[in-house]
Amino acid sequence: MSPETLAFLANLLTAAILLATPLLLAALGELVVEKSGVLNLGVEGMMLIGALFGYIAAYNLQTITCLEELIPGFCNKEVRVFTFTDYLLSLVAAAAAGALLAAIFGGLTQGLRANHVAVGLGLSILGAGLSNSLGSNFFGVNYTSVQVADHPSVFGQDLLVWLSLLAVPAIWYVLQKTRTGLVIRAVGENHDSAFALGYRVSRIRFYCILFGGAMAGLAGAFIVLVHVDWKEGVTVGKGWLALALILFGTWRPLRVLAGAYIFGLLWASELRLDNLFPAWQLEWKTLLTAAPYLFTIIVLVLISRNPRMIRQNAPASLGKPFNPPS
Amino acid sequence: MIRLEPRQDITFWTPFRSIGLAMLLTLIFALLVLFAMSEQPAEAIWQMATFPWQGRRMEVQFGLVLQQTAYLATIAIGLSVGYRANVWNIGAEGQFALGSITAYAGYLLIGSPDTLWALPLVLLAGVIGGCLWALIPAALRVTCNTNELLTSLMLVYVGGHLLTYLCIGPWKGDPKAGQAETYPIADQIQPPTFISGTELHAGLIILFAAFAVLALVLLFTLLGYRLRVAQHTPKAERFAGFEPRTTIWISFALSGAMAGLAGAVYMTAETGKLIQAENYLENFGFAAIVIAFLGRLHPLGILLAALMISYVNVGASYIQASLRVDDSVADLIEVAALFSFLATAVLDQYRIRFKRRNATRVNVT
Repeated sequence: MSPETLAFLANLLTAAILLATPLLLAALGELVVEKSGVLNLGVEGMMLIGALFGYIAAYNLQTITCLEELIPGFCNKEVRVFTFTDYLLSLVAAAAAGALLAAIFGGLTQGLRANHVAVGLGLSILGAGLSNSLGSNFFGVNYTSVQVADHPSVFGQDLLVWLSLLAVPAIWYVLQKTRTGLVIRAVGENHDSAFALGYRVSRIRFYCILFGGAMAGLAGAFIVLVHVDWKEGVTVGKGWLALALILFGTWRPLRVLAGAYIFGLLWASELRLDNLFPAWQLEWKTLLTAAPYLFTIIVLVLISRNPRMIRQNAPASLGKPFNPPS
Repeated sequence: MIRLEPRQDITFWTPFRSIGLAMLLTLIFALLVLFAMSEQPAEAIWQMATFPWQGRRMEVQFGLVLQQTAYLATIAIGLSVGYRANVWNIGAEGQFALGSITAYAGYLLIGSPDTLWALPLVLLAGVIGGCLWALIPAALRVTCNTNELLTSLMLVYVGGHLLTYLCIGPWKGDPKAGQAETYPIADQIQPPTFISGTELHAGLIILFAAFAVLALVLLFTLLGYRLRVAQHTPKAERFAGFEPRTTIWISFALSGAMAGLAGAVYMTAETGKLIQAENYLENFGFAAIVIAFLGRLHPLGILLAALMISYVNVGASYIQASLRVDDSVADLIEVAALFSFLATAVLDQYRIRFKRRNATRVNVT
């Protein structure tokens, strides 16, 4: 292969990793939530809130040193340093923000037995509204002046890339091989039996929801700290794609991983069509931006045409109301 | 220890207790939000509550409220049809966009007429467009058992991109405009305004009429009864001989048609042309989901919820102009209302008992 082709492929892979990692993180979190029998449609909202708080934390934690000050208060030339510790702290902030939003969902659905779908949709709307209003309060309307410096990577990739890849076997192991995982699956398969056995169904589900929120928060933080700068609606529907990915992966971590990277590669190559076909019109490119969503629909159709696969892996109590005998 | 105990005495008046409590909670949240987000809270709260009587002509402000109410209520009652039967169409935003697109296509197709008599045809085109777009997830659900919630949502993004594509591509209008947009439709075909200077136009009457017709159908016909059966006891639906698949078709067709009609009216009356998605779509489709749940999926509730939320929205943009309070307070109040209503719904079926934990209870874990 010629060096150009190799460079193009390497470039493509880098972009694919950037696009796949947030999908993978959010989908793995939601996978655990769904395994416990809860359908949280608020992933998009939790990602946005995680992204905003991760960004705010990072913006405040970075050290800005002014090299040249023309007039007092106006810096002409500055150096921004964002250390690895700062990065870790920003991630903690993002995860906490995501978990906090998830706690609202958990309280309403588990404590007050509200409709999962309605609360989840509300959470997505809340996340979008809150991140927009807080974001414009914090950064002003013009975001371009607000930037976060790059941070050190680990073995050539971002820390979260490795973490997301490690989370795949970890979640598989916990769900399939440990007592905790067995309890989570029991609650998700048949909440009445689990309750009869003495498990605190609502409480276990609440913890899973918190975990899912934290993972979604991390996914949001990855988008704004590693990939692009914060702007309104920066997640562009990735939270919803993560939900679709779980169906694509039929609730299995390894398949979710494969799905995330297939999505990432497709998205990356679609973004690179510009370079491949510079003669293409702007209008065609606009139409192509819709491709990932169409692809998701096609994949969903192909997956759900095979009811056996869904039935074998889907948690039997997913999204069903749980009314324990009192 | 707080325990939920199933309620034995559910009467006609039971829901009103929870609705009252939810209203109270919403009010408290709204006051808190306004208090936190403005520099002159007392003035902000006063202006928010009484904005129609402040400054400009009252009918202008009420016109704005009614305008939003019409769009939100029309889309929301369509969505409520499916939500009653656990059919989750959350893609009204996309159906709204497609309604606008096909209305414009219909306008072009009948040769850009400049008479009001062509308006019904244009609106009909919008209804058909929204309906067909909604039937895609319905067909996938019925034939392939695909999750309609995700597919309908994905189609929102597809619809938005299609709208932008049409505005910068085939139907590209004035290139000097600051945004991608089509050429405007003839003035004569736009629904006439009743009181000059206000937003009260004939299109709103059409929307309210559609709302009323669907409300009557849902409340007083066999179809409405059938959907209520599907809502409360899915098993009984089958025993009664109602086919669940038909319910899915009907739900999507109705909600798509209503959103499409709203989109068509919006295109003809408000903008008069198509504009690229970011500047055209105002999230009516998503706000309507909230309205449907706030109204407890009941037509009357939806109308009241739409009025309330529109009042808050218009009030928020009023105090944004007068007191520089960010108008996202409206979003926050809207979600606070949604969560209050969802949270208090538990009181309809359960009694909350505060009890100390029983010491003799056997711990099984």
